[in-house]
Amino acid sequence: MEQKSELNFESPTFLTRIKGMLSVDFYRLFHTPLFYIFLAIAAIIPAMILGMTSIENPQGVVEPLYTNTWQVIAAESPLYIVSNIAEYANMNMVFIFGGIMVSIFIGHDYKSGYVKQLFTTHPKKQDYMMSKTVICAFAMACMCITYLFGTILSGLFVGASFSVNVGSLICAILGKIIMSLGWASLYVFLNIIFRKYFAISIASSFFFGTGILIIGAAAILGNSGILNIFLYGSSVYACLSSNILTIITCLIVSISWSVIYNILGTHILNKSDVY
Amino acid sequence: MNAIEIKNLTKNYGEKQALSGLTMTVPMGSIYGFIGENGSGKSTTEKIICGLLHPTSGQVKLYDKDYTDIDIRASIGVLIESPGCYPNYSVWNNIMLQATNLHLDNKEDEVRKVLKLVRMEGAASNKFKNCSLGMKQRIGIAMALLGNPKLLVLDEPINGLDADGMRIMREILTDITKDQKCTILISSHILGELEKIATHYGIIRGGKMIVEMTADELDKSCPTFIALKSKNMTKTKELLSKKYSKVLEDEQKEYLRVYDAQKAEDVVKYLYDNQIIVTEIKTDKIGLEEYYINLMNNKEVK
Repeated sequence: MEQKSELNFESPTFLTRIKGMLSVDFYRLFHTPLFYIFLAIAAIIPAMILGMTSIENPQGVVEPLYTNTWQVIAAESPLYIVSNIAEYANMNMVFIFGGIMVSIFIGHDYKSGYVKQLFTTHPKKQDYMMSKTVICAFAMACMCITYLFGTILSGLFVGASFSVNVGSLICAILGKIIMSLGWASLYVFLNIIFRKYFAISIASSFFFGTGILIIGAAAILGNSGILNIFLYGSSVYACLSSNILTIITCLIVSISWSVIYNILGTHILNKSDVY
Repeated sequence: MNAIEIKNLTKNYGEKQALSGLTMTVPMGSIYGFIGENGSGKSTTEKIICGLLHPTSGQVKLYDKDYTDIDIRASIGVLIESPGCYPNYSVWNNIMLQATNLHLDNKEDEVRKVLKLVRMEGAASNKFKNCSLGMKQRIGIAMALLGNPKLLVLDEPINGLDADGMRIMREILTDITKDQKCTILISSHILGELEKIATHYGIIRGGKMIVEMTADELDKSCPTFIALKSKNMTKTKELLSKKYSKVLEDEQKEYLRVYDAQKAEDVVKYLYDNQIIVTEIKTDKIGLEEYYINLMNNKEVK
């Protein structure tokens, strides 16, 4: 009994736990070259799209694919079915590269064996899911911002038009940035499922990031507003005709999917061997 | 209260059963040597204790609480196989990250303290990937020691350590059980080293505990014998076998062991009377290693 009274086990609060985990993850994010490489990739994509894409018109004349700089940020209207590459190649591409970054970031936790240390002292798997989702969302939001800067610089460089409804443009950009959270939670979830298979996690992130499933669904459903409830649908919904409703939709969808994927991911980690 | 109490623990990997009803008790403040062949279930047991694997069935309690209890988990230090560090970060940064994970108040002081303990102060700025195997093990120990853990789970911590490293490790582990009332569960194949520090032993085979004993009990279980050398070992063995019931050659076939002789001088006199000159003689005792090997080979162990 005497020995028992000498043992004091401290119970860290949720805030203390998540603060510790976020500190480690932010430190890692800012100290990995991977993050800066992906920021650079995000900045280069619009330059490549604007400067290197062209299309031949019916008269046989080769014209630039994009005449307006902001088309590289978002489509004119929410077109879920990709009928030509110009509708697809916009800020949504950040989420494809973001998925690969998330896979590598989480993959390192397992490859280095860091999770051994982490899960021994942190039994709450939800903390891990939340921390990774927040960090990856932050990283993708940063990629969206560098993409925006890359777009502006490229537009200036190639002399493309900048005419746009500024309010709609801001709504579209904010909508896409908000969608980073939903996308991040999906990728974290996928990487939790395939945590022991690095190549498969990267492939799955790419597969889901390209929105192949939703594009397939859209081909059947048509250009329907109901697709806004999906991540890809909401990302497309944030277009150059966006309004405040777009931001609200993106926010609801993004948070909902984050909650769903975090609950599912936590459940998987709780029920399966972590290392 | 026991630090670890495991009852009927089973763990299946698909069709393969890694643990089949393991029962184990690690008393508080002990250094528990966990011994077994490769694939006997040591690492699986340790990973379950650390919350990295889920048991198929059975009960695991740490300090009378369920092993998943959040209060307990923050007080466990681990080194499972190798330390989980980021290869491109420095030793200092890797340990700092773990200190952050443990929500320590004076992180820098704590990191300095554990680095000093494992004699790694001079290598703090080295990248982890550039450290030798022995250094990596020491870093792993340093990380496990952060925040004064109540329970240390160490899987093969002395692998790759040189003689001095092993001595340092022995000193550290012995000190922390005295000063910090820490309990240590340590598995190792280097039984000679383990024997020097362990207060309790558990021998596992095929996922089951076959023996659990204290160091004193082991000591009593290990028979003493008289080991001798002569110029004609064959004839000596023949002669000794006539008088004594248990005469065996040692593993290296260097010495003859007489287990049931009371005095060395009686053996020498008996051989001298039979024209055999004894060139070397000593009284010895079988150690943990031999005890374990005998047990594994199902040889008689008193």
